Amino acid sequence: MKRFLQILSVIILQSFITCTALAIDAQTLVEKSFAYIRGKASVSLVQMTIHRPRWERKMVIKAWTKGLKHSLFYIVSPPKDRGNGTLKRGREMWMYNPKVNRVIKVPPSMMAQSWMGSDFSNNDLAKSDSLLTDYTHKIIGTEAMDGKMVYVVESIPKLDAPVIWGMQRLKIREDLIWLEEIFYDENLKPVKMMKTLQIQPMGGKLYPKVWRMQKAGQEAKYTEITYLELEFKKDLPGSLFTITRLRNLRR
Amino acid sequence: MDFKIAWRNIWRNPRRSILTICATSFACIVLVFMLSFQFGSYETMINTSVKIQTGHLQIQAEGYKEKNDIRLVISNGEKVAALLRDIPEVRGFSLRSQAFSLVSVKNRTYGALVTGIDPKTEPSVSRLKSLVRSGSFLGDGAQNEAIVGNLLAKNLRISIGDEITILGQGRDGSIAATVLKIKGIFSSGITELDRSALFIPLDTFNEVYTMQGAVHQVVIVLDSLSHVHRVKNRLIQGIQDISNDPPLVVLDWEELMPGLRQGIEMDLISGMIFYLILILVVAFSIMNTFLMAIFERTREFGVLMAIGVTPRRLTKLLLMESIGLTAIGIASGTIAGILITYYFQVHGIDVSGASEILSQFGIGGRLHPRLGVLSISIGPGAVLLITLLAALYPALKVQSFKPVEAMAAA
Repeated sequence: MKRFLQILSVIILQSFITCTALAIDAQTLVEKSFAYIRGKASVSLVQMTIHRPRWERKMVIKAWTKGLKHSLFYIVSPPKDRGNGTLKRGREMWMYNPKVNRVIKVPPSMMAQSWMGSDFSNNDLAKSDSLLTDYTHKIIGTEAMDGKMVYVVESIPKLDAPVIWGMQRLKIREDLIWLEEIFYDENLKPVKMMKTLQIQPMGGKLYPKVWRMQKAGQEAKYTEITYLELEFKKDLPGSLFTITRLRNLRR
Repeated sequence: MDFKIAWRNIWRNPRRSILTICATSFACIVLVFMLSFQFGSYETMINTSVKIQTGHLQIQAEGYKEKNDIRLVISNGEKVAALLRDIPEVRGFSLRSQAFSLVSVKNRTYGALVTGIDPKTEPSVSRLKSLVRSGSFLGDGAQNEAIVGNLLAKNLRISIGDEITILGQGRDGSIAATVLKIKGIFSSGITELDRSALFIPLDTFNEVYTMQGAVHQVVIVLDSLSHVHRVKNRLIQGIQDISNDPPLVVLDWEELMPGLRQGIEMDLISGMIFYLILILVVAFSIMNTFLMAIFERTREFGVLMAIGVTPRRLTKLLLMESIGLTAIGIASGTIAGILITYYFQVHGIDVSGASEILSQFGIGGRLHPRLGVLSISIGPGAVLLITLLAALYPALKVQSFKPVEAMAAA
């Protein structure tokens, strides 16, 4: 009897602990984690590897971000593509090509197409903060990883949100590091997932250095993003994220 | 002797006989005309679609049709060309490459399928050149010029001489971009094509999309639709010797345009149901005529049997009557049907009212029925068969007659 009571109290205690853990507000968790990754503003150098069964391509991209909405990308290498740029302001996107010296606005109908032939769609780039504004989040469980707690968050789009996913599932470590993001279609079947492969100190804090984006059921195809350099800034001038600037990036 | 009697019997009730003949004849006219019309429009559909887009046959790298991946190429188009030159049924062939790209003018951008074509050989496989409504077709060499569909031109608000920018991805994954001058605007009547197609010289495509001389499709047009199967088999044999990674495949128009074949099948089936009902109505009318005749002529049959005519001979007589009747109907109907159909085959039928739907299949404002052995024989043949079956019942019924009872009947 005594032993039974002991076990019972352990069970009760354990469930109590889980309860308090789950009590952390999911919305706050996602927001904080987002802020952790993006910072107020950042300048980074990223290597993107597009891997296909018989083919691989590496690109080095310089990226500027400001707040949650503004981003600017500039291709550094390969030399043939050097100077191509992409500007993203909110949900709008423009691309610049130095060879023809023109800026092209990416039309809404093309937002689901892949960006530069990678597994990232234009939408992935342009709507990256849509997760914060268009979804409601719920913590559905916890896991352990390297002695740290990992929250599993289920994100369901709000009723009138202009999103293409039926659901997203996130794994966020308690120190706000983003571990995994799985995208589901309307039938709640997984479509693609992004996973953090390597976590290292970068830009003055622990950072997910290597990410991999992969379509469901296609293990031989993926796109990997490796941060080569990363620096967080207090702010960047708004004039950097304009079409004029996109056109003149090289100078 | 029997034939003479049968012939006389037919005309003993001329009004009824003529009505029956008319019914048979009308069925034949309708069948000959409708079948010729259907076959004619199918052939128009296939040939126009084939000559606007796909060709009768295409050679591609395996998987290209499904994935449209720019890296699935035919590396050595010249070897395929050499193979094709040896086949007499091949009337023309041309190399093409395709890539989906953004097309932009000022702040308007649309997605479009950019196709590189060889301006010299393209006219031998497609009507594209004749579809250019304003401006002119592409010239030779690697000029930066393009012809676009009229709807795409309208969407982009461009006209001849304007400059457009295309932005896509090359074979090596690099960014493909160039500025092109609009040389011509085409209109095929196929909405999808007019809204999203842009053609540039193959050499230009090769440069912009870093194709390194490779192409995506070899489009082949044959001298006749009926040779598709034979040439396809021959090509499958031939391309085995050409090494390519992935291996090459031969696709016929049915595989290239599955929607077209399904459309034709659907239309044929609904047509067949209509024809079957028509033939059944005629068959019942024939059966009715003969049943009536038997009831009317029971006494006559009794007398004939009493003076020694065997039931077999009576059946033969009745069958002759029915064959005579239907033969007149079918012959007159078929001839009238052929004449009417021939008139429309020459002059065409104005279908501009339905042009919206038909334009999807590449049919213009006029349809021409097409007389053929099949379209002439199927309908009348079916009418003959079914009416004979219908006449069989009354003809056999006579056999059970007893002379005395039959004579006693009113």
